[in-house]
Amino acid sequence: MSNKVAIIAANGGLFDAYKVFNIATAAAASEKDVQIFFTFEGLNLIHKQRMHVLEMPAGKELFAEGFQNAQVPAVPQLVEMAQELGVKFVACQMTMDVMGLTKDDFVDGIDVGGAVTFLEYAKDASLTLTF
Amino acid sequence: MIKADVQLDAKGLACPMPIVKTKKAMNDVAEGQVLEIQATDKGSVADLAAWSKTVGHQYIGSQEDNGVFYHYIRKCNQEASEVAEKTFAYTATNEEAIVSGATILDVREAAEYAFGHIPGAVSIPMGELAQRMNELQQDEAIYVICRTGTRSDMAAQQLAEAGFTNIKNVLPGMVGYEGELAKEVN
Repeated sequence: MSNKVAIIAANGGLFDAYKVFNIATAAAASEKDVQIFFTFEGLNLIHKQRMHVLEMPAGKELFAEGFQNAQVPAVPQLVEMAQELGVKFVACQMTMDVMGLTKDDFVDGIDVGGAVTFLEYAKDASLTLTF
Repeated sequence: MIKADVQLDAKGLACPMPIVKTKKAMNDVAEGQVLEIQATDKGSVADLAAWSKTVGHQYIGSQEDNGVFYHYIRKCNQEASEVAEKTFAYTATNEEAIVSGATILDVREAAEYAFGHIPGAVSIPMGELAQRMNELQQDEAIYVICRTGTRSDMAAQQLAEAGFTNIKNVLPGMVGYEGELAKEVN
């Protein structure tokens, strides 16, 4: 069985960030190769400024305290940890063009690619997840 | 307290941090040694067992004390342990060892012993055997056991070379033992 985990991050809220990065770091810590394809709002999760101010879903703001009590790491910390563990980040070129973003808007060390880049990686992954 | 070679404090950390920290800490643990992970995350109980299985280490067990979970994982190298040959000529089955009434010497790590051993078995971890051989009689019958028969094979050879005359390596070892277990954990 392949040791690859392919993840699509297509949403840009705070909950989405935790879903994506918790699974990604846990997989990387379990010695799997992990690649995340960030597309549409998902790009927020690795955007230098926006990743610090990700929003809670409307009406769920009361969970802010819960996050604090559970001592959940901040998103930028998770991003750094994921990269340290070898998780590869790929930003969607098409979305970047639509939104007027360049590689410099994102954290260092990312790759930029298109749908085929993701498909090529995911074709023999043992797990493909979409968030 | 259960003896471990390396300790990791992951208290207060939420998922996935205990796993991430464990992975990093494991880099500094030598093969065969035991890592103790202290965590308050309740999910760590299921997660660390699953992580060990995925990565190929031996999850020994965990116990809770005052809201802190103490997990014990022994670092394994699966490829190496699968090819390890057992060469000690004198062997016995688990059953033969138990009915013999003779000394059963458990050479697994202290934490493995604590989480379940054959009642009455004597614990001397493989790494301490050379220094502690004098606790055993050279001419008594000794059945040496570990988890799968690899460490006990080495221990049996070591004892025979030191002049012990009535040594047997027990196979398959604790992996095949389904009888009553004595434990030193709650």
